[in-house]
Parts: sequence; structure tokens; C-alpha cells
Amino acid sequence: MRDFRRSLFLAVLGIFLGAITLLFSFEKAVAQEKVLKIGQLGVMSGPAASWGLVNKYCIQAAAEMFNEEGGVEIDGEKYKIEFVSIDDKMDPKLAVSGMERLVYQEKIKYIIGPNVDTTAASVVPVIEAAGAINIAYAFSKALYSPPHSNSILGMIASYQAGPVIYKYLKENKGVKSISFIARNDSDPLNQRDEGVEAAKKLGLNIISSTDTYEPGTTDFFPVMSKVVKGNPDLIVLSGVAPADAPLLIKAARELGYKGLLSTETAQDIKILNEVAGKYAEGFISVGGASTPEIQSDYMKKFVERYKKVAGEWNDEAGTKVYALQMIIYTLQKAGKAALTDVEAFKKAIPEVKVRNPFLKEERILKYVGTAYFGQPRQIGVPMIVNEVRNGKFETLFIGSVED
Amino acid sequence: MAATRKVESERVEEKVREGGKGKPGILSSVLPFSLSSVLLFFLGLIYLIIFPLLYRDSRYVLGVVINASMLSVISLGVWLTFTIGRTNISQGAFALIGGYTTAILSVRYGVSFWLCLPLSGLMAALIGALIGWPILRLRGVYFAMITLSLTEATRLAFLNGGDFTRGGTGIVDIPRPGALSIAGITLIPAFKGSDPLPFYYLAASLLVLTLISLRRLTQSRIGWVFRSLRQNEELASSIGINVAKYRVMAYAICCFIGGLGGSFFAAFQQNIYPATYTVTDSIYFMLYCFLGGLDYLFGPVVGAFLLIISFELLHSIQTYQTMIYAIIMITFMLWLPNGILSLRFKK
Amino acid sequence: MSQMIINGMVLGMIYALIALGLTLIFSIMNVVNFAHGQMYMLGGFVVYYLYGVYQLNYFLALIAAALALAVIGIIFEKFFFRRVIRLAKREENTMLLAMGTALLLENLALFSFGEKQRGVPPVVTGVYEIGGGYLPAGRALVFFVALFLVIGLLLFVQYTRPGRAMRALAQDKEATYLQGVDINQISALGFAIGAALAGLAGGLLITIFAINAGSGTAVSTKAFTMIMIGGAGVVSGAILGGFVLGFCEAIGYETLPGSTTYLIIFIALILFLIVRPQGIMGRPQG
Repeated sequence: MRDFRRSLFLAVLGIFLGAITLLFSFEKAVAQEKVLKIGQLGVMSGPAASWGLVNKYCIQAAAEMFNEEGGVEIDGEKYKIEFVSIDDKMDPKLAVSGMERLVYQEKIKYIIGPNVDTTAASVVPVIEAAGAINIAYAFSKALYSPPHSNSILGMIASYQAGPVIYKYLKENKGVKSISFIARNDSDPLNQRDEGVEAAKKLGLNIISSTDTYEPGTTDFFPVMSKVVKGNPDLIVLSGVAPADAPLLIKAARELGYKGLLSTETAQDIKILNEVAGKYAEGFISVGGASTPEIQSDYMKKFVERYKKVAGEWNDEAGTKVYALQMIIYTLQKAGKAALTDVEAFKKAIPEVKVRNPFLKEERILKYVGTAYFGQPRQIGVPMIVNEVRNGKFETLFIGSVED
Repeated sequence: MAATRKVESERVEEKVREGGKGKPGILSSVLPFSLSSVLLFFLGLIYLIIFPLLYRDSRYVLGVVINASMLSVISLGVWLTFTIGRTNISQGAFALIGGYTTAILSVRYGVSFWLCLPLSGLMAALIGALIGWPILRLRGVYFAMITLSLTEATRLAFLNGGDFTRGGTGIVDIPRPGALSIAGITLIPAFKGSDPLPFYYLAASLLVLTLISLRRLTQSRIGWVFRSLRQNEELASSIGINVAKYRVMAYAICCFIGGLGGSFFAAFQQNIYPATYTVTDSIYFMLYCFLGGLDYLFGPVVGAFLLIISFELLHSIQTYQTMIYAIIMITFMLWLPNGILSLRFKK
Repeated sequence: MSQMIINGMVLGMIYALIALGLTLIFSIMNVVNFAHGQMYMLGGFVVYYLYGVYQLNYFLALIAAALALAVIGIIFEKFFFRRVIRLAKREENTMLLAMGTALLLENLALFSFGEKQRGVPPVVTGVYEIGGGYLPAGRALVFFVALFLVIGLLLFVQYTRPGRAMRALAQDKEATYLQGVDINQISALGFAIGAALAGLAGGLLITIFAINAGSGTAVSTKAFTMIMIGGAGVVSGAILGGFVLGFCEAIGYETLPGSTTYLIIFIALILFLIVRPQGIMGRPQG
């Protein structure tokens, strides 16, 4: 028995030491063809898993499409796209080590993610030290403002969408009073505060803005009771996760609320229909280039490919499809040098102006955000404001971030 | 049954009276003496000197080992509460308290990190002692569940802390440690920009210091008292041990260590949010202890290094990572319930 | 005010059902089933697929969810917990095993059902107005089914032979064994019923809430809070704990800024347990 234990212990020890050696002597074989490596870091497990997974599926689908065409062309040479994806579990410690792995071990310069303020703020020192660029999906302004210059916001921040939506509703639907409800977490609370500011500027009457619910709440009846009691013309679901939105809508409607409901984040129509059903009618949200009537043929192809990769379409992907595309456009503009030097990439940022390939109608796609961050560090995703009509998203209007 | 209890009681009593004098400590009692010290010496040498020299330029590898080292430190606190027979799921709360102490002191009042570090530990220990005194009366799953609520409550408290904790927006841009000088002599130079090497030395020294202090503690009379509490509190009390005092002492030391860890990570990551440590973290700290083996001081260290490094290795089968974690947990409980170290060092 | 009472009653009933399953397993095996929330989530998914996707009758889907979870419960007891309880020197071992199974179920669900939030069309529609408060028909249905299940379980535990064996096992393992009760069989049954209750709760609640693969942990944490309030291992305590938490939430969300409700609940819980460590109905530990 003792001998057995001893040999088992030695075996475990041996495997462990072997594993360490493997980890620390890890060097990727040099690929034959030219490769553009993209990293992805985000939350891909737990309750918020969909945020990171949608990023991953978008990259995977787009990369497959590019690679079937022989790769993307930069300075006359074709590059196949490879990507490495890491789950940070929304833990800042894992985000830092994951990012270090991407930039040092995998030697990647362009990373898509992370998805929330906590992880995005934690990786900033890493990407700056390594000279890399990341496209983050967190809304904190500090990430994109000087002295920082290596992070780019990949979507429309709610504080940008809020004023545009409220203004539209004030002018077109006669909204005079407004209430806010937010998940009790960094991002949604920040979004609520920005929303309140914007509403004040527009002269709307703010009835309530302190109501929040815990992450993981499933019953929104109690908290919604209180909001509905104030009977505002518009209830804003600040920074609501696609999972929570239909529940909040349902609770509000079941409590007899007759006014408008809106949010500034991207939502998913399937879950809205499944959970909220007819109650979702008239719900206003922000989407990417995803509503069928505005999709270009290229976007339609992408949607099909995404379905193959992920199993089903997710409307969040309409926004997140832009990240990889913009990296490639900018690299093409900046030339080969930018593959290893992000300074060349940064120089090319203000010059990128292309036709938006995902929209049927002609619109310019470029970097924006100077008005908010003092430098163009945001992808100019068109702000497509949707309304739910007959169980489908229909475009209410297409706005854009003021620059 | 009665007979064995009597024998056990005599044994405990005898050991407490002896105060551990003349008895070999926890490590040397399980290791052949010469081998263990030689092995430890070499491991320490590699860890403190050879490894950082070899991997000086690999931030990623250093980063992984820094994480593993500091998580080991925090878990060692949890290990200490295991020695008094309590399952402690509150360590995340005290790491959070430590982190916020450092964040608030250094950002708001410009206090040097070298003062923040011990203050964070003391703050955590103080709060731990205050809360621990009443709740340590609970045992078993009751204690486990209340400590779990404590982790949640702490997170919510920081989230609702208003301007003082900046709520959900967290505290960012925490300065890196500056120079430490006493009487004009610079003992530790300021941590420059992004170089991880100073953090490595800091983490490594904290781990070694924690190990040495805990080893001394467990070998002392107090260590025996702690273990006697795990076996039978009533009995310990009947032979004149102030049970409440020692329980709180163990818990406060645990919290102190948690606070140190939180302080380190706040300076290392340069930010802290209420969600930086959650129940999941508290559970992982326990998991490291179990994996290595609760009977061994080195248990949490072995557990933490093994899991964190294998976590990095498993990136190639990344999608299944958490699943593999789960399977490891189940397999260990089924076939190796006393941890990895029990394979070699039979108690 | 009446809205607060309605919210509290419905929440309390639902929570009681969740807490009952957890407390049943705890009383028989002295195991805190950390995977309880994950079992709830699986029950929800069974109903989602059978009722939501394949359009089966809702109540058949609900029964299927109970059966599926009962099977999982038996497998867990037979292959995991029985062995660990026998070998363990410390009770922490079963706790960690339970955490492992929770993680396992959550990840299996993530791979097989995807990351998206799922819900089903309402079983009944309409809203009742009671004294100025609103009660949607879907919630009323959940309330009455849960009430029916809780009463059914109480009768089962009180008056049937296996039910009595379970109560006996919870009190004294050795005496029960000496009375010729097959301990293993009763433990497996207890685990199966506990898991089935979690599955039923999930299957019921998916009609008014929604679930995703990660929604288990929050449910588990709430269930722990309930059985700590009521007293672990006591059936009446679980029901009471469920209602206390349900009303605390309903009142808190109505009168306080949302985020402070749970902070106050946790602080109150800790203070309460200092005064009464065994919960309202629990036996003193020792």
C-alpha cells in the first residue's frame, strides 16, 4: 500500500512538473502561410456568458468567411485569420493573466474584449505595456480618454444612445416624465447616471431613478411595483441584460403599466418573444445592423454563417460584428507595419472612412468618439433604434453618435 | 466509544500541556527530517532566486506565478480556520475589505502602499474579530452558510457605500507602490511602470513569510490548542482553554492574511470593484486547501499552484475548463478526500 | 400595500417549495446540496424543451421535469454522496463534493442548452385585481400548484411508510437501521424527492420568470438563506423561512432603494443567527 501511494504520488508529481515545463517552454510552431492573429478575451461562462460568447462566435464566423476567400489582403499579401479565445469569467485576475497570455505568449497585437468595466480597466496596464490594441465593450469613459490610447470602444455607449432616444421620444411621442431602473452593478449604474443627466438636459420630469435590482434576480414584480406606481410616460431599463429585459417588461405590463419602455443596450428578439410575448410590443432598444430590412447581402451571408457557428442568431451579434471588420480596414489602411506596431495602427485610425458593408443603404463607417473621449476611440457603429412590432424588431430610426 | 474518547481526551490534554515542546512540528512530523529540509531549501531557492532570474522577461509566466503565490497566501488564512474546525467561505469579504482599505487610503489620502499593506491587514483583522466573536459560535454547515452570506453582505455594503467607496464605479488608478525609505535610506525602490518583477518579489516574500509564521504558529502551544478545538471544543473548554478567545484569534489571523492579499491585488491590478471578490472566490480559496490537503500547511500552496497553472495549461481545451474543474473536485472527493499531499505523507 | 402582500405571498410560496427540497436532503443526509439551484435550472430546461419547443401539455412537461430530476438525484446519491459520506473524515468533504456537482451541472447545461435565456409562453393569461393590487393569472397558477405540492409533500412525509422512515432517519440513523429500514434506499428516495422538488420549482417558475444555464447559483444562495432563517433540516422551518424571505423581499423592494434590501436582509440574518443559531424552528445544534 505504501509503495503504491508513493508511486502514485511520484506519478502525480511527475505529470505536474511535466505540465509546468510544457507551459513555460510553450512556443508555437511558425506557420507556413501568413497569418493575422486576433485575440478574444471575455466572459464566456456564468450568467453573463452570452456577452463574450457572441464576440467569439462573431470572430469565428467572420474569420471562416475571410479564410474561404483566401484571407484578407494587407499591402498586397493575403493573410489567413487565426484567433485565440480566452474566458475571463468576469474575474479581473483572470482577465489580466488571460491578456498577458494573449499579448506575450501568443504575441497578439489586436484583441477583442473584454466585456465589462472591471475586466476592461484591469487589462489597460497590460495592453499599454505590451503595445497592443483592444476593442472593449465597457462604457467607462476613462478607458478611452487620454492618457490612455490603446482601447477602442466597440459599440455605442448607452450615454450616447440615451439622449438620442429620449429626444426622439419627446418630440415624436410626447414623453414628458421618465423613470429609471437599473441592475445593481457597475455598468448599469453608470449608464443610469448618464441617462438621468441626459434627461435633465432635455427638461424631462424625472419621477424615480434610485430603483435597482440584484444581479441574478428572477422576480421583478416587487421592484417594478414601485416604479410603475409613479406612472411615468417612459421607463428606461438602464444597461439591462438581454436576459432580464423581457422579465422587466412583463412585470411592468402585468402591473398595469401603459406607457413606453426603452433601453439603450442591444436586445435579443427571440428571448423577448419567448418570455414577454405580446407584452414586448412597442419596446424600444438599440440594435446593430441586424434588422432584416436594412441588412446588406453581405450581412445576410454573415447571419447564415453565424447560425452555423453558434446554432442560432443572436441580435447582440449585429453590433459585435463590427470589431473584426474595423481592425482589418484599419490594418489595410495602415499597411504591413501595423501588424507588429500599433502606433502605425493608431495613426491610421482618423483616416479610415469606408462604406458600411453591413447596411443596405449607403453610410460611412469610421471611428468616432472625439466629443466624448477627446480622441477617436470608438467604432462608429450606426445607432439603429428598434421597436418591437408583431414580434419583430423594426427600425424606428437610424441615428449616429455625435462626433 | 467512551474508551476512545477518553484516550483522545488524554492525548489532547497532554499535547496542550506540553505546549508542543520537544514534539516535531507539523511538517517534520510528516516528512523524514533531512529530506524535508533539503527539499524545502531547494524549492525556496528556486522559487525566490532562480525562477525570477530565468523568467525575468516573460511577464505572462511571472504574472501566473504572482497570482498563484498571492492566492496561496489568501488561502493559507482559510487553511488556518480549517485547523480550528470551521469551514470558512468569508475570505473573499476580507480580501475585499483589505483591497478597499488600500484603495481608499492611497487614492484619497495619498498614504504610501507600504503603510497601506499592514493597515489593510489590521483593518480586516479588526472587522474579522468583531464579526467573528459572535458567529464563531456556529459550527459546521451553519458556519459555512453564514460566512457565505457575509461575503455577499460585504460586496453589497461596498456597492452601497456611496461616495466613500464610489459604489459600483469602483476605485480605479490606484498608484503602484512607491519607494520605501527609512531615515533617508531607500530600502525598496519605487515600482516602475509595468515591470512585474518587483511584484513577483513582493508576492514571493509574502508567501514565504506567511508560511514561516504559520509554521511557527502551528508548532507552538497555540497550534495545538487550535487543533484541539477542531477535535472537541467542549473537551478543550473543560481543561481550561478559553475557547472563544482562541477561535477569534484564529479567525482574526485568517482575516489579516486575507486583507494583505486584497491589498496586494489592489495595488497590482490598480483597481478594485465590489465584484472583485465574490462567493466564487471564497469557494475557490477553500478548494485550494482541500486539493492540497487540509492536514498539511503546504496544502493550500500545492492546491493553488496546481489549479492555477493547470488552468493556464488547459487553455487549449478552453471550452471545457470549468467542467474539468468540476470533475477534478468530484474525483478528489471520491478517491482522494485528504488531498494530494496525503498520497505521499500519510498521517 | 395589497400589492406588497400579493407579492410576498406568491414569492413566499415559491421560496417555500425551493427550500423544502433543500431541507429534505439536509435532514436525511446532513448534506447541503449546493447543486439545488442547478437542479432547479435543469427542471426549467426540461419544461422549456417539452412544453415550449415540442408543445407538449404543460402538466405532462412538469411531471417529466420531476422524474428527470429524481433520476439525477438518485444517480448523485448512489454514485457520489454515498461513497463520500462513508469515507469522509470531515463534513466539509460532502460540501465540496456538492459544490463540484453544482459546477458540473451548470457547465453541462451550458454546453447542451447554450448560453441564452429561455422562457416559455404563458400557460394561462389574464390579470386579477385584488384590493388595488395586481395578480397575473400565471402567478396565481404557480401559487396554487406550489401550494398543492407543499401539502402533498407534508402528507407524504407525515403518513406514508417511506415518509415516516425519512423522518426517523433524520432523527436517529442507528435506531432507524435497527428497525430494519434500508438506509440506502431511503437516502436515495430522499435525494430523489429533494431533487424532484427543485426540478418542479424550476419547471413552474419558468412560466413566469426565465432561466439560463447560469441562473442556479442565485437560487441556491436564496435557498440557503431561507433554511438558515427557518432552521436547517426542519420541514416547517423551510416553509416559514421561504415566507419570511418572500415577504422581506416584497416589503424591501417596495420601501427601500432596491440595492439595500439584500444588504439589510443579510445583516439581519447574521444578527438573527447570533441570537438564535438554530433558526426559528430548528433544534439546537450540538
